[in-house]
Amino acid sequence: MNALTSLPQFPWMSLLILMPLGGALLCLLHGKRPADCRGLALATALATFGVALYLFVCHGQGSERWLLYEDASWIPAYGIRYVLAMDGIALLMVLLTAFMQVSAILLAWRVERHVGSFFALLLLLESGLMGIFLAYDLVLFYLFWEVALIPMFFLISVWGGEQRRRAALKFFLYTLVGSLCMLVAIIALYQINGAQTGTYTFVIGDLLKTQLTAAQEGWLFAGFLAAFIVKSPLVPFHTWLTDALTEAPAAGSLDLTGLLLKTGIYGLIRVAFPLFPNATASFLPILGALALIGLFHAAWSAYHQDDIKRLLAYSSISHLGLVVLGLAAWQLTAWEGSILLMVTHGITTGALFVLVALIRERTGTRSMQELGGLWGQAPCLAALFLLFALASLGLPGLANFAGEILVLLGTFQEHPVWAVVALLGVVFAAAYMLRLVQGVIWGPAKTERTLPDLSMREWLMLLPMAILVVWIGLYPAPFLAPLHGAVATLLAGGLP
Amino acid sequence: MSLLDLLAMLPILILAFGATAILMAGAWYREPLPLLVGGIVTALLAALSAGLVSPPVPEIAGLFSAGGYARFYTILWSLLAAAGLMTGSRYVIEKRIGAGEYVSLVLYAAAGMSLLSAAAHLVGLFIALEMFTLAFYILIASNRGCAMAAEAGLKYLLLGAVATGFMAFGIALIYAASGSLALPDAVVLLSVETGELQAWGLLGWGMILVAVGFKISLAPFHLWTPDVYQGAPAPVTGLLATGSKGAVVAALVGLLAMSGPVWKDLTDLVWLLAALTMLAGAFGALGQTNLKRLLAYSSVTHMGTLLVGVLCQTTEGFVATTFYVVTYVITSLGAFAVIASLADGRGEPMSFDQWRGLGYRHPVRCGVLVLLLLSLAGLPATAGFMAKFAVFHAALQSGYIGLTMLGIFASVISFAFYLRVTILLFQPDEQASRWHQGSVFEHAVLAVCSSAVLVLGLFPGPLFDLIRNILP
Repeated sequence: MNALTSLPQFPWMSLLILMPLGGALLCLLHGKRPADCRGLALATALATFGVALYLFVCHGQGSERWLLYEDASWIPAYGIRYVLAMDGIALLMVLLTAFMQVSAILLAWRVERHVGSFFALLLLLESGLMGIFLAYDLVLFYLFWEVALIPMFFLISVWGGEQRRRAALKFFLYTLVGSLCMLVAIIALYQINGAQTGTYTFVIGDLLKTQLTAAQEGWLFAGFLAAFIVKSPLVPFHTWLTDALTEAPAAGSLDLTGLLLKTGIYGLIRVAFPLFPNATASFLPILGALALIGLFHAAWSAYHQDDIKRLLAYSSISHLGLVVLGLAAWQLTAWEGSILLMVTHGITTGALFVLVALIRERTGTRSMQELGGLWGQAPCLAALFLLFALASLGLPGLANFAGEILVLLGTFQEHPVWAVVALLGVVFAAAYMLRLVQGVIWGPAKTERTLPDLSMREWLMLLPMAILVVWIGLYPAPFLAPLHGAVATLLAGGLP
Repeated sequence: MSLLDLLAMLPILILAFGATAILMAGAWYREPLPLLVGGIVTALLAALSAGLVSPPVPEIAGLFSAGGYARFYTILWSLLAAAGLMTGSRYVIEKRIGAGEYVSLVLYAAAGMSLLSAAAHLVGLFIALEMFTLAFYILIASNRGCAMAAEAGLKYLLLGAVATGFMAFGIALIYAASGSLALPDAVVLLSVETGELQAWGLLGWGMILVAVGFKISLAPFHLWTPDVYQGAPAPVTGLLATGSKGAVVAALVGLLAMSGPVWKDLTDLVWLLAALTMLAGAFGALGQTNLKRLLAYSSVTHMGTLLVGVLCQTTEGFVATTFYVVTYVITSLGAFAVIASLADGRGEPMSFDQWRGLGYRHPVRCGVLVLLLLSLAGLPATAGFMAKFAVFHAALQSGYIGLTMLGIFASVISFAFYLRVTILLFQPDEQASRWHQGSVFEHAVLAVCSSAVLVLGLFPGPLFDLIRNILP
């Protein structure tokens, strides 16, 4: 029995990263046969989701610091190791990534141009995202952080809308400036720690013990913050997102809003906060203020959009403001709410982006002035649109409400004023969401036309999301359960 | 010079005698392909002998070292010559250039570069530098029908002559100040208090620095680079951009690693040169609409980054610089090989108009080009990232925070112009024309370069260890 348990664990996490990568390579090789590519990509995404689901069910309930841990030497010359670690938060993000990617591939089913490359890039993106959520060595983390940028850059610049080249370049350079600041901070932290302990390492767990002066801590924290805040994005640095989201192809928008934005917040939670606790403590009020400003500014902008995709882009920024506010409250309930809200926002806004893409396919427009009356023309589509819009504005009983209420409750205990102000922001969300619903599905139809309702493939895409939205809204406990231990550890400073 | 000395020089002798033999053979036998293959085999043989035959003496006639470091670069430059001949084969055959001359010149250049990387004496340094520069004067202008090539050759010749003048005068001044031309001595004697003569020695070092600046195109001595790169045929540009610069940097690292920290008085100047070069290259590349000129400015930025590693004056710095040279040589050579492989009767695709939409016509080679450009930019998982990582690591360790931030800034700009090219490649364009499908040789070079970029990006450990062991 002992011999069995001492065997090295099966490298599940490496499998999560390598499977999409393998699928991407196969897609590239079969680029000449689009039908094969679609099948291959879907099979890969489903298999990855299967692995993620297995991990959630069978490894989700551990009491140890890490549910899974992999460690191997990689570049000994610089003490860089291949370390993957999964706690409850990472598990949830991995599950979300695998789930959304299945939808993204179904959504990309109709892509006509260069099918093999498109699916290869989607799968490469999945691989990079899995890496970001699982890496526990800073260089490995940085590698996946940048690798995830490239597929998104090509998805936007080749398959995007009218302004795609500008949007792609803006997206890349904005995030690049942030991540290069992070790279300098990573190397500096490595050297400071190495000089203190004598062993040079990039493993986050070992770097936690570094002794830093206040000035050092401030500068290094700022370097990491530059990367994460631009990616999140908090308000003064958000302009790349609206362009990128608007110009990206449908599946790209889905991944961008549902997953890529989460990496910024995840980076704060996993890397920046634990490494620099003192700097974090003094920065939290500013973070809270930025989050509130973002919440309102984005909601206000969303209200004034005519392009429904742009409206959703701003709504994403607004929602993420609330997520960051929950983190800034530094309180157990608020953090759990924030992480849950990240997941549910990914699903609801992702589903809305899917629906926008479907509406665009059918009507050829995204402008609210030309839309309307969808309820009569395509009732199932309209009903699902209503469901996800209501979920997005935080209707009780649907997914986002669970996260929002936890964030507000937790924040209220620490900073009652913040919570009250944020509550007003949630009202704003109702305003722009209702305007969206009114403009798209109700009212008179602007043009006489018969629209096809949802096809089998589209049902397959949306129904699981709809079920999840209702399930999490009514019974979020299974998704909160893996978070308890991880969040408590992180709030206590990240050390076990 | 004893027999042992000759044995220690075996790889260089293979290159030089092979080159001479092929030159002679070319005078009677006009068929190009056997001559080219002969050249490639000679270069590979030289690399093999450098790797397998261990030198019996550490130094050759007091002029050149035969240590691990010198051997490492001999292998690199021999392989580079083989790759250069492979990418140049179609050019030589189609333009009806004397294959004997071309092959022998490339091999002579490789011998010169190998000697330069091994220089242990100022005279040896001078001879080696002239040896490969002379070969390049001819190679650049080898296409006699092309006015641009002639202009490029003349430009390189004139500026090369100026640089040679500076180099010779600098060496003379150092000799006057220190009384020695052997390398560690010349530097060490300078660092000892030699009264008013020390100023002359420093001036001499400054002049050598100017000559080096011309050769590896440091700002403000970089203005010839874009013109020459544009005018020279791509296979030659590939050699010029990589070998001729890498060998000079290698010699510089060799000198400094041997001589200990004596550059104190020149540090500020080198700092300034590095900063200027990184920025001048990055901003210069931003406005280009010709891929070869863009790559020229990008090479300027890279030389600036390399100089940061040199400036550190630590083992870390030298390891990083050497690693950077290797990755830069592989990546840059690959990029020019892509251009060379596409060239056909119309010439080489150069202007951005010609490149627009080419990604859909030649997906594999354009994919390789994108990979190489991203490596030049320093994207993680490619060799370029590990190289930049190592250099910035060394710079931060030596306390050059400002220079590191400047380097990061230059990197951001570099990403902008490299990405512009990748966007261009995959921009839909119905008018994009087909170019040559490339020869087997060219595809082989591209396959080697692109896989080396990925392997060195993901598993750089062994190369780092090797470099650390052979550093003089």
